[in-house]
Amino acid sequence: MATVTLEDICKNYGNVSAVRDVNISVADGEFMVLLGPSGCGKSTTLRMIAGLETISSGTLRIDGERMNAVPAKNRDIAMVFQSYALYPHMTVRDNMGFGLRRRQKDKAVVARRVNEVAASIGLTEYLDRKPHALSGGQRQRVALGRAIVRDPKVFLFDEPLSNLDAALRVSTRAELTRLHRELSATMIYVTHDQVEAMTMGDRVCIMSHGEVAQIGKPMDVYLNPASTFVASFLGNPQMNLIPATVSEGVVDSGSGKLARSGLMSGSKVILGLRPEDLAITGDANDAVLSGRVISLEALGAETLVHIDAGSGKPVILRGGRETPARLDDVLHLTCKPHMARFFDAETGLAITPGDTQ
Amino acid sequence: MSARTIAVPVSGAGLRMAALLLLIVVYTLYSTGPFVWVAAMSLRTTTEIAANPYGMPWPAHFEKFASAWFDSNYDTYFLNSVTIVLSAVALLTIIGGMAAHCFARYRFRFKSALYFLIFSTIIFPPQVTVIGLFQIMVDYGLYNTRVGLVLVYVSIQLPITIYILEAFFARIPKDLFEAARIDGYSEWSIFWRISLPVAMPAIATTVILNTILLWNEFLYAVVLITEDDKRTLPLGVLRFLGDQLEDVGMIATGLMIAIVPVVLIYVFFSERLIQGMTAGAVK
Ligand SMILES: Nc1ncnc2c1ncn2[C@@H]1O[C@H](COP(=O)(O)OP(=O)(O)O)[C@@H](O)[C@H]1O
Ligand SMILES: [Mg+2]
Repeated sequence: MATVTLEDICKNYGNVSAVRDVNISVADGEFMVLLGPSGCGKSTTLRMIAGLETISSGTLRIDGERMNAVPAKNRDIAMVFQSYALYPHMTVRDNMGFGLRRRQKDKAVVARRVNEVAASIGLTEYLDRKPHALSGGQRQRVALGRAIVRDPKVFLFDEPLSNLDAALRVSTRAELTRLHRELSATMIYVTHDQVEAMTMGDRVCIMSHGEVAQIGKPMDVYLNPASTFVASFLGNPQMNLIPATVSEGVVDSGSGKLARSGLMSGSKVILGLRPEDLAITGDANDAVLSGRVISLEALGAETLVHIDAGSGKPVILRGGRETPARLDDVLHLTCKPHMARFFDAETGLAITPGDTQ
Repeated sequence: MSARTIAVPVSGAGLRMAALLLLIVVYTLYSTGPFVWVAAMSLRTTTEIAANPYGMPWPAHFEKFASAWFDSNYDTYFLNSVTIVLSAVALLTIIGGMAAHCFARYRFRFKSALYFLIFSTIIFPPQVTVIGLFQIMVDYGLYNTRVGLVLVYVSIQLPITIYILEAFFARIPKDLFEAARIDGYSEWSIFWRISLPVAMPAIATTVILNTILLWNEFLYAVVLITEDDKRTLPLGVLRFLGDQLEDVGMIATGLMIAIVPVVLIYVFFSERLIQGMTAGAVK
């Protein structure tokens, strides 16, 4: 049970800046996901929270208490590593009890706690095995169990599912969510997988180049990305980003128009449209975009239609199974007006129509 | 019984196997030959050997072993060898292990300079350094002491011990140490509870290598120890080397007493040794 607060946290390796001015406030019992592409500083941030990396500047607080100079062993956090980091010379039982034994001298208490946790995550029959005699999924479970046994203030995860196969990943995801609910513990979870972030996180913190790009509930971030980076990182296929110009309450995409007041006339914007918010229309005057179909992907439940609207990258429409589109058709697309998003063409930051700029 | 010949099909693989077997047999004969010869001589008297150097040990004079052990001070030599080698190997393992742990895991100032300094000592052959060492030992009152010999043994074997262990420690994933740190352990406990046990194959290798090398060590021992009661087994032969006469039979008996423990170590630990030398990183 704890809050974790990062205030203006920076990390420099020599004169390389890996993490810059990160401000995150994780509430008690919250599941916070750090999401971002590889190399954006997620692990570094997590490792600073764990005490495995020094903090170059800024303040880290756990439960309000400054932790910058507190060694890892005294922070009362548990961490699940991507590699699991199981001690190869110890049995599952000893692996799980190792951390608790350090704090709890009574062997019977440790044994009871290990048995209890092992039972709750289905490891009882493997307690006397060594890690090399376990499958990947079982090892992952041991790593998880080792963290749970400790009953720490904060759980930290660094891409714990990335070494599992796809099916196991889905079931482990559900199990982690269940665990979070049962333990109601504060968890910080690093991943580059947006599905994990969307499905597990109470909130996600999206990072880019060592900085926080946006923090919010997964659906809020998905619906209202703060920048073109977030817009293109979340969602698969990603949000269509189309350069457009504004004139007299109309946004002109080059191949179509969208009425929208509140944007500065004459300004250049980027129009953001999710593939699922686009629909085919027969009326060219309604179209926000028009173009020729250059490829079709029938995925079974849905069909992805790639359209060359003359804006550089193809525009993607996500339609149902029966989407009436064929290769080389010229299609006109509309969108629900309230689903359109706008970004500044230069900074890439979101613009809310009505903002006077 | 008719003299029918049966054509045995000979495959390429079979031929290669046969060639390999032949090679192994020849090599085994080549390397065990001298050993068998000394073993035979150890059971024969010098007079018998003089008459026929390559004769069989019939009758076997087992009493020569008792005579070497009780009358020629071999019991003392054996005890000296055991205590000196065990102490040196224990110190080597702990000091070498700690040094290797630090070289493999920490970044600190002058690390490479220090590493070079430790290794620079192995470029000089012992014959070069032994004279200077002799002077130092005399100055510090360590000349002709078993403690002095232990210290010398530790210092000559330390570089290679650090080298072997460092290479192994460096391959232990650092996540393991970080997990232990988060589990609440100090660097000191991590060394004892993670580094050492995980590196057991490498530790075993260095222990066996050092034991065998030091057990057979002659040069430093002969220069630094003068008193008969402080001698180690390899020096035992000195007892049978007179100005005029060499008691070849007893020398062979003494040699056998010195060699047998080494052979036993090889027999029981050779698998361990090979494992350690070829061990891959910990998964
Ligand atoms: N020990 C280090 N020395 C120098 N640069 C590092 C070190 N560790 C990480 N970095 C750099 O910091 C950046 C962030 O790394 P990391 O936090 O591991 O990214 P992520 O986990 O998001 O993939 C990367 O550009 C990486 O190259
Ligand atoms: Mg990472």
